[in-house]
This record gives sequence, structure tokens and C-alpha cells, in this order.
Amino acid sequence: MRLSMCAAAAVLALLACRPAEQAASSTPAGNPEAAMDAAAAVEAVRAFDTGTTYGAPITLTEVTKVSEILNSPAEWIGKRVLVEGLVVAVCEMKGCWMDIASDRDFEKVQIKVDDGVIVFPLTAKGKKALVEGVVEQLELSEEEARAEAQRKAEEHGEEFDPSSVTGPQTILRIRGLGAVIAD
Amino acid sequence: MAAARWRRWNTAIHRDLGYLCAGLTLVYAVSGIAVNHTADWNPNYRVTSSSAHLGGLDPASFGAPGFARETLDRLGLEGEVRGTFRPDPGTVQIFLEGTTVTVDAATGQATWEQVRNRTGIRQANFLHLNHPKKLWTWMADAYALALVLLAVTGLFILRGRKGITGRGAWLTALGVAIPAVFLILYF
Repeated sequence: MRLSMCAAAAVLALLACRPAEQAASSTPAGNPEAAMDAAAAVEAVRAFDTGTTYGAPITLTEVTKVSEILNSPAEWIGKRVLVEGLVVAVCEMKGCWMDIASDRDFEKVQIKVDDGVIVFPLTAKGKKALVEGVVEQLELSEEEARAEAQRKAEEHGEEFDPSSVTGPQTILRIRGLGAVIAD
Repeated sequence: MAAARWRRWNTAIHRDLGYLCAGLTLVYAVSGIAVNHTADWNPNYRVTSSSAHLGGLDPASFGAPGFARETLDRLGLEGEVRGTFRPDPGTVQIFLEGTTVTVDAATGQATWEQVRNRTGIRQANFLHLNHPKKLWTWMADAYALALVLLAVTGLFILRGRKGITGRGAWLTALGVAIPAVFLILYF
């Protein structure tokens, strides 16, 4: 893991001298400012040198701000991104998702992984995570949204109020492929 | 003579595999019970929740430097603040190692959740559910094959009325029937 992080940092350093078009793999057209500047990205990736890796090793080197993805979700759907943020919630039962805070107040994004393939520990809450994945959008009917809300409430041992779901929902999340959670 | 030799091998394989598999079987059995009841408890973590009333709070203070430390001091919680998050304008979450404090400005209520590993069971679940992957996958496959051998050799340990031609046949049939009945009922 440490080796891959060093390699990522080295590649990132090279990217600083690279023409902009080569860096477009995780940057939607028209949003060149969406990714952090190279120096900040190097720092962000370096901070995870001593972290624990989950799933596939990180391959991307440019960190994209969560707020940028949330600003224009349609432009990011299907794109592979590297995001970074504080882990603010984790699936209590299976560790099959975690929420990471956006760089902007009142926002977060969910990282969903296949059950049992990657398992995030509940103790990751409050730690920094670097996650690589593909942005996806889920369209849930009212019924599906209610079932999902009920499942989450049960998972947290909370009472579920069916009237809290009032219609179909669109969920933007990142299908996590690999992550590093700082120790 | 050949039959006697075959039985000696059968018994030896069953005996030695039994010793070899004892530890693994305990791991899988303990974890099996633990993960069977996830609706009733968290098999990996012990999560405890507490709350206290902090009185009137101004949400504007949530972002102030020192707010998190001051709040933790008021709650008597120690540890380094790892980060804070504001899910909405009236709420702030403060993260410590293994503890999440949620402060609600509207109610003046602070609740904190402490997460502790269930030592032993979490490790057993980790292995049972094949979270390590890598070499453990092969180890678990080998164990599964060893269980097959244990089951088959076990059928032929005893001879006579208590063996596979007597009472053993009935018990073996019962063992096959149990999953079959549940499949008929639920599948």
C-alpha cells in the first residue's frame, strides 16, 4: 500500500508538468477547476501513507472535490474519481457503505461497495478516507425509497416513520473500488 | 485383510483431521451463531449510546474554534478531536477515536455513541466471512474439503448395530432430511 501511495505521489508530481488534456480522465468537460491543484492533491494523497487499504489499490492521482461532483452530478455520472474526506457514517451491520463529508458544510456523499467484497470498519468514523470509485445515480421509486429508509432506520435501531418518504428519490453516490483510510 | 487396512486408514484420517479442524471449527461455529442474529445485535461491535442536556445552544457557535473541545469538556469526554461535521445548520458532529458526539441546537441535546470491538468474535467473523481474502480463501477451501472428508470418514468409523448399517443409517438420513425439510418450507 505504501509503495502504491508513493507511486501515486510520484506520478502526481509528474502530472504537475503535464498538459491539461491528459488530466481529463476524472475531470468533466467544462470543469477544469473541479480537481484540486496538483500541490494540494499531492498533500492529500500523501496524508494516507500510513492508512489501511480496502479493496483495489488507488490508481488515480488527482483528487476531485466532493462539492464539485455535487455541483453538477450529471457531468460526473459514470466517471472514475478520487475523492477525499472525513468519514462521518459507516454501515453498522455489513460495512458495505460509508459517508464521507464534502469539503462544503452540510454535504456528504455515500461510498457504496459490494457486500463482503470491501468491508469498512465502524471504527473508521472520524477518520480521513481517500476513495476511488465511479460516480453513479440511483433512481428509486417511492416504494423503493421507503424500503431503503426503513432498512437504514432498522440498521441504526431507530424508529421508522413511513411518512418521512414523500416521493421518488434520486441518490448520487460513488461505487467504491478501493479506499485508504488513514490510521 | 484389505478391509481392515482400509478401516485403519479411515479411522486415522478421521482422527487426525478432527484434531486439525477443531480450532477452525470453533472459529466458524462461534462466528456462525454471531452472524446468524444480526437483526438482534451487532456481531462485530458493542455500540453504546448516552446523552446529556447542554441547554440553549447557538448554531453559529458550532464552527467556532474551540467549540468542539469545550463541548467535550462539558460532557466529560476525553480524547483528541479527529474532526467535525455539520450535517445540517442545526447539528454538529464531533468525532473522537471510537466516539461520535452529535449536538442538536434545537433541543440542546448532546448524544454520543461509543463503538468498541467485540474482541474475539469480530476476529472470528473476519475469518468466517472471508474478509482477509488472499491466502485465507485457499485455507478456507482446504478446511471445507477437510470437513467433507471428516463427514465421509465419520460414516465408517463404527461397524455393527451402531454403524452406518444400523443406527448410523437412521441418524445420517435424519441429518440429510433436516436441511431438505427447511428447503421445502422456505425455499
